[in-house]
Amino acid sequence: MSDAAAPSAPSSPVHRMFSLGRIAALAGNTLRDLIRQKVFYFMLVFALILIGASLVLVSLSFQGEIQTLKDVGLGAISVFTMLLAVLSSAMLLPKDIEDRTLYTILAKPVTRFEYLLGKLSGVIAMLATATVLMTACFCGVLLLWQGRAIDNIEMNYPVDMKAESVAAATASPDSTAPQTRRELEIQKLESETFNGSLFGAIAILLLRAAVCAAVTLMVSCFATSWLFTVVAAFMMILIGHIVPIARDAWQAQAGMGGELAIHIKLLLMGITVFCPDMQLFNLVDDIAVGKIIPMEVFMQTTALGFGYLAIYVFVGYLFFAWREL
Amino acid sequence: MKGRIVGVLVLLVWGIVKLPIETGMTRARNADRFHGFAQTASLREQAGQAGVIAVFGGLRSTVADLLWIRAHIAWQSVEWGRMKYLFDVVTALQPQRVNFWDMAAWHMAWNASVAAERDETVPEFQRLKNKEDYHKLGEDFLLRGISANPDSWELYDRLGGLYRDKFQDHYKAHLAYKEAALRPDRLEYVDRFAVYELADSPGHEKEAYEQLLALYNRGKQEWLPTLLKKLQLMEIKLGVPPEQRVYIPPESRHSADK
Amino acid sequence: MHDSDGFCDKSAHRNGKNANNGRYGRYGRYGNYVFPIILIIPLPPIKRCTLRRTPSNFTHDIPPVSRKIPSHQNPVSSTPAISIQSLTKEFKSPSLFQRGSITAVKNLSLNVEAGSVYGLLGPNGSGKSTTMKIVLGLVAPTSGRTFIFGRDSRDVDSREAVGFLPENPYFYKFLTGEETLHFYGKLCGLRGNKLKNRSKELLELVGLTDAAHRRVGGYSKGMLQRIGLAQALVQEPRLLVLDEPTAGVDPVGSRDIRDLILELKQRGITVMLCSHLLGQVQEICDRIGIMHRGELVREGALDELISIENQTEFVLENATPELLKELRVKVEASGARVVGQHKPQQNLERYFLDVTNDPKK
Repeated sequence: MSDAAAPSAPSSPVHRMFSLGRIAALAGNTLRDLIRQKVFYFMLVFALILIGASLVLVSLSFQGEIQTLKDVGLGAISVFTMLLAVLSSAMLLPKDIEDRTLYTILAKPVTRFEYLLGKLSGVIAMLATATVLMTACFCGVLLLWQGRAIDNIEMNYPVDMKAESVAAATASPDSTAPQTRRELEIQKLESETFNGSLFGAIAILLLRAAVCAAVTLMVSCFATSWLFTVVAAFMMILIGHIVPIARDAWQAQAGMGGELAIHIKLLLMGITVFCPDMQLFNLVDDIAVGKIIPMEVFMQTTALGFGYLAIYVFVGYLFFAWREL
Repeated sequence: MKGRIVGVLVLLVWGIVKLPIETGMTRARNADRFHGFAQTASLREQAGQAGVIAVFGGLRSTVADLLWIRAHIAWQSVEWGRMKYLFDVVTALQPQRVNFWDMAAWHMAWNASVAAERDETVPEFQRLKNKEDYHKLGEDFLLRGISANPDSWELYDRLGGLYRDKFQDHYKAHLAYKEAALRPDRLEYVDRFAVYELADSPGHEKEAYEQLLALYNRGKQEWLPTLLKKLQLMEIKLGVPPEQRVYIPPESRHSADK
Repeated sequence: MHDSDGFCDKSAHRNGKNANNGRYGRYGRYGNYVFPIILIIPLPPIKRCTLRRTPSNFTHDIPPVSRKIPSHQNPVSSTPAISIQSLTKEFKSPSLFQRGSITAVKNLSLNVEAGSVYGLLGPNGSGKSTTMKIVLGLVAPTSGRTFIFGRDSRDVDSREAVGFLPENPYFYKFLTGEETLHFYGKLCGLRGNKLKNRSKELLELVGLTDAAHRRVGGYSKGMLQRIGLAQALVQEPRLLVLDEPTAGVDPVGSRDIRDLILELKQRGITVMLCSHLLGQVQEICDRIGIMHRGELVREGALDELISIENQTEFVLENATPELLKELRVKVEASGARVVGQHKPQQNLERYFLDVTNDPKK
């Protein structure tokens, strides 16, 4: 403690260390800034075109059209949300520092934590907007294809053709199982096209993009150039896709006494510990083949995602708090 | 520097905390076959696997679809070797797409084998050998597909058809159809086909007759021509006394219905 | 036009306006034409001002016009607005190959009294901006402490009382002037009608009402400075920190900003500013601190610092040339009216250069 006594402080209202209002103001401003960028529109339009173009790809495919549609649509949403997340998050902090708007913001009673959280919230809001738009286009394509497919079924199957129904011997008389082949095919088609898990998987994609944004923001809190931030974030995310393999290899080697060189073991350990396991957020490949996501899996993945978000925001704050502006 | 050191330490602690959680989640998904990439040894041994996962995380299915289209084009160009290679990659990328395994097996065991049999540029003994090799390739695709999708009745059904039509091994076909009959959501005919193939398997006539009878006793909806024919053949083969035979000759059926 | 060294406020002549309350003092518009009588106490020769610069600099038997606001208008709190105690800041060398550190601020101590206008001066690289940033909590000190109205400036709540305008500020270009104020107002906890009314009031104060709905990206330099001032004032701060508020602004805009600062001072707001335009500093500051190579080399009331102690000036009215000659011997007996008397002041810029002892200059 300094010998010099602090001058007496006059009374004034107590400042709230954490204010949702401030965070909302920063988030709203960030969202506005991002959605008016031309690159956002270009990428979004490109994604929408790609989703729409999946109808053309389907015509080239041989069987499994619905899976192809879903693969292309979900793949587009997956890639573009990730790209948008990294590219938009990378520019936030460097731009504010370069333009000195950061000084005017932090000179107000705004903590650095609120600033980071506000920026990240704005990016997530932008990602949610883009995801909703892409999902709407995707659902439109699926509905369009489903309509055509139903027309084909009605053309190919007579109204009174009996359904080769499943386990007919055990079906109860008043069961609602389809009685005609046409009904069976339409029911099968509708259940393949849309199910609750489809939207659950898209929600997990959005969460994954949010984690990517948080990773990028964390890197930008100590990086000095935008390019380094983008490259480092993309590397971390791409390496995150091989975390399960690295983890299994490291754990297997650790259990067996190890045949790998020490530097390989350290590398595997580093990848496992420091990189996020992005494969756990990848449910779309399973959804495309018609699997249903159990609620337990969905909740676990969501909890893990929020855990990652919290940690990366906190670590980003630690990097940012000690940064000389 | 102080902030960076503390931040890295926090990441390290989080990494240690999340390790058992992520390991458990991954294992649970692999056990449920929920995750497309079940970490089988054969998958990991493939040289480019890590690269595939890294680059195609989230795009795996899309790339599989694009390669599938290329395989279809290769079929139109009658490039069997290229097709086989593409099928291998496609099924590796998306092992949970049943129709990938189904179509790969069909192309190999039916189309490629017939093309090999008719290939006059090679000696006859080679043609037969190539045909058999393609049959085995088809079988291999189906068996691998079943391994990745154990609940799929379709693959067992195709396997049964492969054993019946290409290997002429009716007992193996019976076993395949029997497995298909145990799967949920199967179509009813697989139950019948399991019995039919057993009836065609030498040395299993008695067992086959019992099962044919069981089907017959389910009611008129099961009295399809194939069932009746096989029932008749079994009764003749086994020497069932006429008064104990259940098979009603066609000329007597109308009076029996009355 | 302003004379940047502070001599001869010609704009005042041209406009004929009493732009600043009491600027001409009681000597009126033509006071500058009265030749001052300078009584010089022998000292090494110092360049003298032969034309009266501002009447407020005269000392005479009539109480001088003070730039300070009379005490009843400016209740000075005992708590200084800014208190800097033994502040030191060292930056580690950014190069991996070069060890050591750069000392930007060295053991700085100063107080800025509430209600005053304080000028922090210094050449480029003297540590002014670093000091400002530490006071605002943007940079952490290596040692020492800084307080804003008694609150440690590292506490976020100390910034509730502070408005800051950085040098060459940029704001979000896609926002209009009004939206910019709304944004900063929300950061300070203002909402709804209170925020809207405050924004309107500030836009009017800085003269940007007509440009309120234009995007900031289309603002001129002067307009940017004005909107910057407005955002600094949005939460009604008690302390305003301005870094080069008139840098790059045209003389008219510069004067308007200067007048605004004086008006704020009259309202009791403490202002701390950094500026290289010493003439303007001389016109509005009560106290100044001069930094050089991280240290505070001079500090005190402006009047005291730049006054030449051993000289006195007299102002005579209706003096004849012969009288001027005789006044050397007998001032009182000449019949001329002693209009005023003051200590002649050298130019602040000259003083600044002497103190910092920059060989280039």
